Amino acid sequence: MKKKILATLLAGAMVLSLAACGSTPAASTETPAASTEAPAASTETSVEAPAADAGEKVDLEMWCIATESDSNRHSYEAAIADVTAAHPEVNFTWEAIENQAYKTKIKAAVAADEMPDIFFTWSCAFLGDFVDAGRVYCLDDAYETWKSELPESMMGNSTYGGKHYGVPLTMNIVGLFANMEILKSIGYDAVPGTYEEFIACCDALKAAGIIPFGCAGKETWCVTEYLESVIEKSCGADTLNDIFLGKATWNNDDVASAVDTFQGLVNNGYFDPEGIALSNDEVKANFMAGKYAFYMNGTWNCADFAGNAEFGPKVQVAEFPVINADKATLGQLIGGPSDTLAVAASSKNAELAATFTFELGREICHYGYLDGCGLPAWTPYYEAAGINPLTQAVAEICANAKAYVLFGDTAMNADSANTYLSYVDQVYGCAIDGAGFVAGLTNDIG
Amino acid sequence: MKKKKLINGINVFLFLLPGLALFIGILIAPIVLSGYYSFFDMNAYGAKEYIGLANYKELFSSTAIGFFKALKNSLLLAALSVFVQLPVSLGIALLLGKGIKGERAFLSIYFMPVLISTVVIGQLWLKIYNPSYGILNVCLRGLGLDNLAKIWLGTKETALGAVFAPTLWQYVGYHMLLLYAGVKSVPLELREAAMLDGATDGQINRYIVIPYIKGILKVSVIFAVTGSLKSFDLIYVLTNGGPLHATEVPSTLMINMLFLRNRYGMGSTIAVMLILLCFAFALVISAIFKQED
Repeated sequence: MKKKILATLLAGAMVLSLAACGSTPAASTETPAASTEAPAASTETSVEAPAADAGEKVDLEMWCIATESDSNRHSYEAAIADVTAAHPEVNFTWEAIENQAYKTKIKAAVAADEMPDIFFTWSCAFLGDFVDAGRVYCLDDAYETWKSELPESMMGNSTYGGKHYGVPLTMNIVGLFANMEILKSIGYDAVPGTYEEFIACCDALKAAGIIPFGCAGKETWCVTEYLESVIEKSCGADTLNDIFLGKATWNNDDVASAVDTFQGLVNNGYFDPEGIALSNDEVKANFMAGKYAFYMNGTWNCADFAGNAEFGPKVQVAEFPVINADKATLGQLIGGPSDTLAVAASSKNAELAATFTFELGREICHYGYLDGCGLPAWTPYYEAAGINPLTQAVAEICANAKAYVLFGDTAMNADSANTYLSYVDQVYGCAIDGAGFVAGLTNDIG
Repeated sequence: MKKKKLINGINVFLFLLPGLALFIGILIAPIVLSGYYSFFDMNAYGAKEYIGLANYKELFSSTAIGFFKALKNSLLLAALSVFVQLPVSLGIALLLGKGIKGERAFLSIYFMPVLISTVVIGQLWLKIYNPSYGILNVCLRGLGLDNLAKIWLGTKETALGAVFAPTLWQYVGYHMLLLYAGVKSVPLELREAAMLDGATDGQINRYIVIPYIKGILKVSVIFAVTGSLKSFDLIYVLTNGGPLHATEVPSTLMINMLFLRNRYGMGSTIAVMLILLCFAFALVISAIFKQED
């Protein structure tokens, strides 16, 4: 029953959002999909399925970002073991490359048309560029088999011109993680629900000598997790969605005002000043070590937080409070399904690779959800009672979702996304204010 | 006789051919292709559109790209390389070249940073600069100089210097080794003759050794300047061009355009500009040294 409710709520919530990338996404890059950026790790693994009775084995190769230190690693390993066991006719090899290096590698492979049969990608604009270049195999035929388990609403971010090109794995949102031990020490039993209370809490933390927020300035996508939440809760999801998707310009006074609000948080000393020189891994480690009270980041972190015996019981996840109730409401979230598997059009065994990809995607989703690496894009076919409390809390937040706005750097095309990130950098570094932010982006993007 | 010469010529050509083919294929062809691509608006896997010199115009006029700021940073690094790194390298080379005790050991120690992977050096310096536990801030605080402890890589004012310090430090050993080889090649008779005439160590270095190794100095200066213009790896590891583009250099800009923004045409334009600048500086430096001669 529980899983049915979860599946229905998730599917319903996603329908709300999929005006976002809908049927013709634009193009983009830089998803903070995987939680851990392992140092240049690249592992190649060959999984020999049990010998087939007869016939020659078919080679299939996959590239992904599930390196040894990635929280999704286990779900990939378990899924691959299951699917290769079911396909003795396949000799499956896979390679995991560190997140940032992977972006370069897959783009170079696409440019040279030397892609593996199956590859990990981010949905919307990142995959859109490859689809436009004709390098991705259309999955429409294979999808027919899986329609009942993989809702059409989850396929939206990888659907281009009405055709399906990607298999979604898990979906994630931006969550406000709170160290409850710290909050309790200043008299809070729960994460403050209103913005005024939230600011009062930050002031109390500051007065107690505790830094409210940790944010990795060295990785701009981490800053966007804060900034986009502030803009969304000030201007509303529709406004932000329209801007990200090019339906409206950046020339918006409400956005400028929201950016000033965010900068006010920085100027008030709510952020760790040292964070500007730190990577996300370092900031996350600081948060887990109790240096900050709050950490806004993707809910893929739930697995790492909940899996830490000492830190797990201290942490809670909540939704960022509404700043302007006239334009925004609770339930407007940043996130959506982005982690995707796709098949190369150049694959010699594209049809088999497509079937294999759907089966693999289903199992990665299954194990990823059980591990707490995100919410399932597929309808769960299993009891999920043992899911960690953090992921359950995320599921509850998503169950009450009214709208989703996909991460800005995923929704926009690569050039625009990086221009946007450059301005976000300047806002965080207080080099420009809200007016400068919207004026610059209006001029450079539109 | 003529026939023999012709056969010899053909033999020479045949022996040179594999190397020439490699040189053209690996070096010349990519340069020519980069020049060709710089006239297009393209993303490597999509259609390309001929746009003439538009990429060059945008590169020189767009403040959003910030090419001139990146170039200024590279030129500053080049100046520091020539006026700080090389004199230090030369000083060490002259000192070791005299044949001091433990010469070999010092040679190995100074050369060690060149052998270590730049990524490893970057990680080491990241730890040194860490605002909380980095040895630099810990030492400053320990000395009671708390006000000097900074977020070295995160502040616009200090990031460039903090990135340049390890960049210069890493290659001191490289230039030192080049110059040391030159110092060691100075004939002993020249030194002895000068010493018999009562020349001091300083005078021997100034009037005999340095003029004698001028050719190697020229090579070192060219390597230092072109190396600075092409600098990438350590900056990429330490700051990736940030904060707020304060440590951006043309190479990080090029990578940004090519692999993050998918603007292969603009990336090729920056590559062409880098090649032209490196050639131009190499020629100017050669001309200056020739004039000196």
